[in-house]
Amino acid sequence: MRAVWQAARAAVRRRRVQTLVIWLVTLVSTGSTVVALGLVDAASAPFDRAFEKLHGPHVVAAFDSGKVSDARLTRAARRPEVEAVAGPFARATVSVPRTAADFGLGGEITVVGRPGPGGPVDRVDVWAGRWPTRPGEIVLNRQRDWTADDLGKRFQVPSGPRLTIVGFAFDLGHTADAWVAPEQIGALHPAGRQMLFRFRDAATEQDLRAQLAEVTGDLPPGSLAGSQTYLALKHRIGGNARAYAPYLMAFGVLGILVAVLIVANVVGGAVVSGFRHIGILKALGFTPGQVLGVYLTMISVPAVLGCGLGTVAGNLLAEPFLEFVFSGPASGVLHDGLGIPLRVNLVALLGMPLVCVLAALGPSVRARRLPAARAISAGSAPRAGRALGLQRRLAGARLPRSVSLGAGLPFARPARSALTLAAVVLGVTTVTFATGLAATLNSIGNGGDRTYDVTVYAGAYRHGKEVRPVHGDRELQALLGSLPGARHVTARSDDEVLLVGSTNVVMFEGRRGGRSLGGVLVKGRWMSRTGEVVAGSPFLRRNGVRLGDRLRLRKDGREERVTVVGETMDTDDRLVIGGWPTVTALMPDVRPIAYHVKLGEGVEQEAYARAVRAADRGLSVQVSGPNTVTGTIVGSATALTLMLALVAALGVFNTAVLNTHDRRRDLGMLKSIGMTPRQVTVMTVTSMAVLGVLGSLLGVPLGIAAHRVVVPRMAAGLDITLPDSMTAVWHPPLLAVLALAGVAIAVVGALVPARRAARLTVAEVLRNE
Amino acid sequence: MVTEVRTEDAVVRLDGVRKEYGETVALDGVSLEIRAGEAVAVMGPSGCGKSTLLNMIAGLDRPSAGRIVVHGENVGELSEKGLALYRRRRIGMIFQFFNLVDDLSALDNVALAAQLTGTPARQARRRALELFAELGIADRRNAYPAVLSGGERQRVAVARALMNRPALLLADEPTGALDSRAGEQVMDLLIDLNQIGQTLVIVTHDEQLAQRCASRLVLLADGRVTGGHTLEPSA
Repeated sequence: MRAVWQAARAAVRRRRVQTLVIWLVTLVSTGSTVVALGLVDAASAPFDRAFEKLHGPHVVAAFDSGKVSDARLTRAARRPEVEAVAGPFARATVSVPRTAADFGLGGEITVVGRPGPGGPVDRVDVWAGRWPTRPGEIVLNRQRDWTADDLGKRFQVPSGPRLTIVGFAFDLGHTADAWVAPEQIGALHPAGRQMLFRFRDAATEQDLRAQLAEVTGDLPPGSLAGSQTYLALKHRIGGNARAYAPYLMAFGVLGILVAVLIVANVVGGAVVSGFRHIGILKALGFTPGQVLGVYLTMISVPAVLGCGLGTVAGNLLAEPFLEFVFSGPASGVLHDGLGIPLRVNLVALLGMPLVCVLAALGPSVRARRLPAARAISAGSAPRAGRALGLQRRLAGARLPRSVSLGAGLPFARPARSALTLAAVVLGVTTVTFATGLAATLNSIGNGGDRTYDVTVYAGAYRHGKEVRPVHGDRELQALLGSLPGARHVTARSDDEVLLVGSTNVVMFEGRRGGRSLGGVLVKGRWMSRTGEVVAGSPFLRRNGVRLGDRLRLRKDGREERVTVVGETMDTDDRLVIGGWPTVTALMPDVRPIAYHVKLGEGVEQEAYARAVRAADRGLSVQVSGPNTVTGTIVGSATALTLMLALVAALGVFNTAVLNTHDRRRDLGMLKSIGMTPRQVTVMTVTSMAVLGVLGSLLGVPLGIAAHRVVVPRMAAGLDITLPDSMTAVWHPPLLAVLALAGVAIAVVGALVPARRAARLTVAEVLRNE
Repeated sequence: MVTEVRTEDAVVRLDGVRKEYGETVALDGVSLEIRAGEAVAVMGPSGCGKSTLLNMIAGLDRPSAGRIVVHGENVGELSEKGLALYRRRRIGMIFQFFNLVDDLSALDNVALAAQLTGTPARQARRRALELFAELGIADRRNAYPAVLSGGERQRVAVARALMNRPALLLADEPTGALDSRAGEQVMDLLIDLNQIGQTLVIVTHDEQLAQRCASRLVLLADGRVTGGHTLEPSA
């Protein structure tokens, strides 16, 4: 055992570069595997995981407190099918007029009196401030990506108390818009009670309904005022997560494949290049088992160190990365629900060393069986050449000899080259896929949010008081258009109307100003006459509406017929957009809720915002930032692509190191007959560039195929249809650049070993014979 | 007795050449001149610096001190690229273990040397075929090193060394890896080459090879020239 350890230690010390490569490759591969597995894990069921972690309610039920007492509700919930229950909590409905001081709560809101954020069901995440503990305090339900700058402000309940905002909290089940202490809720005139249930069998809507019926079966008729299951919520809230999942899955799978391939290549190659050493060990009297032990130890030491450190690095990298990816609105995952689960770390910590050992085992067992004399001669006796026909053809080709020699080299070691090629192919596939994804998302972004630069709202909140604008609606639009830098202003109204013949509410958006606010037309055309509207794909799907269909919209007893003339790429399943005359025909008193301003080229958004505030103190201004979802996906895709390209380049680096090591004698000889260092570099780089070219030839179509498979699924996750113009991103210049990706990966990986090979001292190499 | 050589006739001139590998001194102030058309055998015990001396002349390694001038070029002052071009144009090298590229046929191994100088493939192959014919291995031109005998491999290596018509042919134990018959053939080949004017430097342990092929003997011990004399042509 001591001899095995000594021989392994000596081998590790002697092969510093190889040991370093194994360590580096296992480190980066394990790190990327941890991130990739973490992504796959997080993307596979983000809502379910967060929902379980927070003990989300399977059913939120509202009861009429006039018909059933709290004690009876508590008794009714004591049934075997109920896994856990919270409540009854008093529940009030409050109408909040739409003003600047509504804290984004405009409309009817549900306020619940709840003693604390914890409990057996629906653990509420208080992410800013604290939970209300006494009358006069309120906590608002708001997602983490909002700011908490309203903390401490006062919220006036119409015809009710004035409450201080003491915190912001978020619950996945969205059981309330705001919470107050139980002592406060009485002042808000609660008309009902809220019960939160977790049931034993929560797989389907039918199961949940049946169990709820069991619970409420003995209650007085009409006491159950309404209920909502988590399944409907899951579908609605998981939109972004569903959009992320296919692309994260794709990256995750690519990452794992690349990592496993590279590790197998590096470790297998290390053993093969050590055949001569193995022969010497055998000649010295090492048993086949001891030889196996030496090689497994030699590989395991740097591999285990690399895996351990890679797991730590992967965790460190994954945490902010997952937060970055999953923290978007309605992603369904909360900040503390993120992180790499233990099982992923275990898989990485045990799986990667196992891959290393398995990769080393094949060639080690082969070496174990080889007679010592044959193993010793592996490095010096002439090998029967491989791919000889190809070499002969290349020798006669009209290419510089260093290039034609290099082009033939990969075929001399087909297995090693195939593994390297596979890694390059996956690297190029990743680059291609990510480039296509970014191009699609950019075209979505360019067609959407960035069509205006500033949004102005009528009303502002200054020093705790609401300030109304001094200008009227039309005056305001004219004022905003006259400020320096404004190119055009579009007023937007947004009102709930009823779709006749259905129970669904429609958000009828009106636009005044003649310009589109963005949005991408998938089919049909934009509205141009009174009575014409466009709607998003989810609205059309949900209501079974086709282009050309006529809808009846109703508001306050007035009814109008409109014709759907276009389908837009929108995620809102309630949105219908019409021109101002169409909207005012239905709602004559409609008023815009916002004014969207497109600025001239080079005009600073902030400068315009200052001008708006100076012109009327009753206006609040919001500057359009970059599209966060687009930015998140493009940013994360770029980071993942760089990581996978680095791993692929490391694979090439390793192959080039092994090849130059194996061919030291040839390189020495070639230099002895007059090959210049530059020619040696060209030859070595060419040998890998060939794999790069092949990698591009295979990887680019695979990347395009991945884009074709993944992007429509992402769009489906968001319930949108992408127009062809957004998926047809593969233009010849882009393809030409992508074709270079494989070559770039190969050249970057091969350059260092190539330069090292060029600097070989001939006398030293040949003396080693 | 060391043969006097007039400096103006010298193809190779070594002046106080010293080579150290760490603390080991491989060559210790070697001075030597070799005239055009001479066949010089360098002999000495193992580790005396014979191969190092040959590597210095071939430009495969650089001296730690001293000057090596070959055909008027100071080899020690050449850049890496300059050394490569020097080896390409001036030197032909024969190794004990042949050093052929396993993946190339015998013909392509030989043609390779010319192709590196920019000679078109067809022209390089034509020249290689002439050499194959001269060396009596024309029928083995398409064979790969793995299937050639030791003697055949060394003939291929000689053909490669001669491909660019070098001013100086350097051979490091050229018969060391061959059986006696193959060794005889290679010796005859070297004699023939020298007789047609090829300058030759042979490093060897083999006294018979030195006696038969060389016109002058240089003795080396502990990195120094310890003696030398002219040799009578063998019958």
